Amino acid sequence: MISRSVEAQEQEMLSAVALNAMIPLANERTLQAVYYILRGRKASQTLQDVHLYSLYPYYRMFPRFSKENWDKIVSNLVQRGCIHIRTDAGMNGKSTFMVTTEGVRYAAELSNHYQLARWLTPFSASLLTFNLDTFWKRLHLLVQTVSQIAAARMDFIPVVTDRRIQSWIKSQLRSGEERERWQVHLGDELYKLWSPHPMQVQQILVGQLTGAGHTGRTSGQLAAEMDLAPLQFQLMFRYGLASSVERLQQEREAFSLLKALLDADHEERGDVRLSESAAKTYALIQRGIPKADVARIRRIKESTVEDHLVEMALRCPEWDASEYLSPELADAIVRTSEELGTGRLRLIKDHLGDEVSYLHIRLALARYRGEATS
Amino acid sequence: MSTSLQTHLQRHFGYEAFRPGQEDIIRGVLAGENVLGVLATGGGKSVTYQLPALMLPGITVVVSPLISLMMDQVQQMRAQRRIAATYLNSLLEPADMRAVMREIESGMYKLVYISPEKLQQSHVQTLLRKVGVSLIAIDEAHCISQWGHDFRTDYLRLPEVVQALGNPPVLAVTATATTAVREEICDLLKIKPEHVVLQSLNRKNIAIDVIPVMEESERRAQVLHQMDEWKGQGIVYCTTRQAVEVLVATYQLEGKRKVHAYHGGMNNMERMLIQQQFLSGELDMIVATNAFGMGIDKPDIRFVIHYQLPASMEAYVQEIGRVGRDGEAGYAALYYAWEDVQIHQYMIEREYPTRRQIDQLAELLRQQQSLTTEALTSIELTQEMADLLVFYAQRVSAPYRDEVDPGTELRDHADRVYAELERRKLLKQRKLAEMIRFAEERENCLRKGINGYFGETGHDYTLQCCSVCGLERSLYKDSRQSMNTGRKETSWDLRQALSVLLPK
Ligand SMILES: [Zn+2]
Repeated sequence: MISRSVEAQEQEMLSAVALNAMIPLANERTLQAVYYILRGRKASQTLQDVHLYSLYPYYRMFPRFSKENWDKIVSNLVQRGCIHIRTDAGMNGKSTFMVTTEGVRYAAELSNHYQLARWLTPFSASLLTFNLDTFWKRLHLLVQTVSQIAAARMDFIPVVTDRRIQSWIKSQLRSGEERERWQVHLGDELYKLWSPHPMQVQQILVGQLTGAGHTGRTSGQLAAEMDLAPLQFQLMFRYGLASSVERLQQEREAFSLLKALLDADHEERGDVRLSESAAKTYALIQRGIPKADVARIRRIKESTVEDHLVEMALRCPEWDASEYLSPELADAIVRTSEELGTGRLRLIKDHLGDEVSYLHIRLALARYRGEATS
Repeated sequence: MSTSLQTHLQRHFGYEAFRPGQEDIIRGVLAGENVLGVLATGGGKSVTYQLPALMLPGITVVVSPLISLMMDQVQQMRAQRRIAATYLNSLLEPADMRAVMREIESGMYKLVYISPEKLQQSHVQTLLRKVGVSLIAIDEAHCISQWGHDFRTDYLRLPEVVQALGNPPVLAVTATATTAVREEICDLLKIKPEHVVLQSLNRKNIAIDVIPVMEESERRAQVLHQMDEWKGQGIVYCTTRQAVEVLVATYQLEGKRKVHAYHGGMNNMERMLIQQQFLSGELDMIVATNAFGMGIDKPDIRFVIHYQLPASMEAYVQEIGRVGRDGEAGYAALYYAWEDVQIHQYMIEREYPTRRQIDQLAELLRQQQSLTTEALTSIELTQEMADLLVFYAQRVSAPYRDEVDPGTELRDHADRVYAELERRKLLKQRKLAEMIRFAEERENCLRKGINGYFGETGHDYTLQCCSVCGLERSLYKDSRQSMNTGRKETSWDLRQALSVLLPK
């Protein structure tokens, strides 16, 4: 195999990931929508897209991805003839895009080369609402704290500054008995959890951890030591986290201590299934307040409240949406979407006529797909 | 009294004796006076309010603009279980904020660090009045002065806050203050001249080196060389993130020692890990923007290299002040090329809004649009700039303040607001000019130059003085051959790796 520079590899992998995320959205959404998914935007529309097109592994893949960098990737892909931007004012005047046969071929070739399928496997719908970042911070601080307890040195500076994470750790290690239990079994449980992983994934996970007299490496340091492109590292790290979570979810009894890491974050922010703002809207809607008033009370645009309704339709099956969408209309919309083979709002609306609003269509699709996937 | 102060110092901080100036400051504060303490970086500023906090009945409020610094200090105090301390700043999530406020109300804390903008909030002031404030310590007090190099508008409102909190004694502390700045601090915070405690800023054990270079390649070669050869751990400061990244990447191609970047673009956890690796000696050097160093109390940093010219003498002195706090010999190099000045000039220009942007902001505000990030981005203003503009507008139209909305105020006073900005821009340029003058000095002792700038006369030194007086650089080189040659390859064993962290 030709050896490539780390930088070239990085660009190629980025292209591969972006292209794979684009394929299902071609002709249906804008490129911006793909960018939002990769960045992990918490907006209703983005979450809905992730659901509709089963793009779970891609959600929040690059939380710090700059628009500049994204534009570079896009123009590269255009130049290579992998995608075309369509300028025929489709989506409310925004331009969609299409993926060429060359694009599909190229995506397949790169995916194969970088084993993308392998590293993206453990992501399912249940992980969408699971915060991997919190999981990792808890685990990291837990290991550090238990390590310090074992060394009988409690005057350490925690690597995680987040107060919520810190108080969660405290709640786990409150009694002497609990501390003893973690101290005796944490190493074994981690071994059991991670020993099935490929060696490099193990090194990535363990190498970042901090303990008494031993500071963890940053992802950059570790990637350099292991000769991995940053993105390759990132993919493998996320694989490690996601498969850890998946295994803990499936075999709770086998991990009597680590299963605690799955506990919801007890923060005062309402319904954890929803984005923070949507949770507030939901609380008001449940009290029977019409959407226009919710907008007024919360001093947000009514269109934003509508985004929240869609999010609720998607994530909260117990919510009675009939005030905003009759079951008959929902049925008609879903059927039209299937007949036309599209999730594009404009096309469905053109087909059904003026009495059907975009909100109707979005609610119907969210409900239908939400039920279908859960 | 004296013995009891010392007993407290020993018991709570583990020090045998006060460092110069500390005791005078603490006595003044305990006597209920307003005090200004000017102590060298690393001269133990924090003891001057932490110790009184333990002895006074109510709580001590520490105002600090440096969020990372307050978080570090609180972490350290918690780790050492020295004083019950907490912080309030804009990084706290609303839920955490409420929790901390409840805890403060219940009397859990003696020491509360708070960012100046949080302190402006009326519910915070109400809470503090309720629990009773015994002392307000204002850290980085030079920020209150419009002559200072980092003046902050929210600091200017502090005198009102002090009054709102029932006029408790005020302790202003800073490491850098020229005569003009000192006078302004005293004036605004009502500190009598006899209650100004000045500690010599001269750092005897640090050799001052200034190295002019013609071009980038020359500078890079020399700095890379020093990074390999200089004894002990050190910090290299660059002006921009980009310069940090480039230098680190270049060094890592050939360099022998362990180096890592540190700047504001890295996430919290990364910065935490890098900092700890440096503290524990796992890293030899940090290449950083000025984001690194605040709140780091590492006694044995042996050198600081300024890859480029800093923005002001104040910033320069603060940064080299991190060298040799243990009193052992240390070294500070400043590289200087003419292009550094252009970078700073560009940054100063970019930092302030144009006349047109003021009008645009006024228009936005008048349309009653809430100032979303998008709205601000559309006129290329940061939130900080917008706040600054509104603040100035309110100041120039103070008598009618309650009646008029900020947009109208800003529109009607745009010219005066702009003039104010021009004045501040000019001030920064003056600071830069002073820095340049120092860097171009070839005749007079640099140590005298630094100390003279801050209105001091002392210029003793222990090992070597400066590059004008003559400097033998080889004294700071490591005589031993560099270690860290390649990393050792060991076979991977998960069980073994875990047991290092979690021994049985
Ligand atoms: Zn000299």
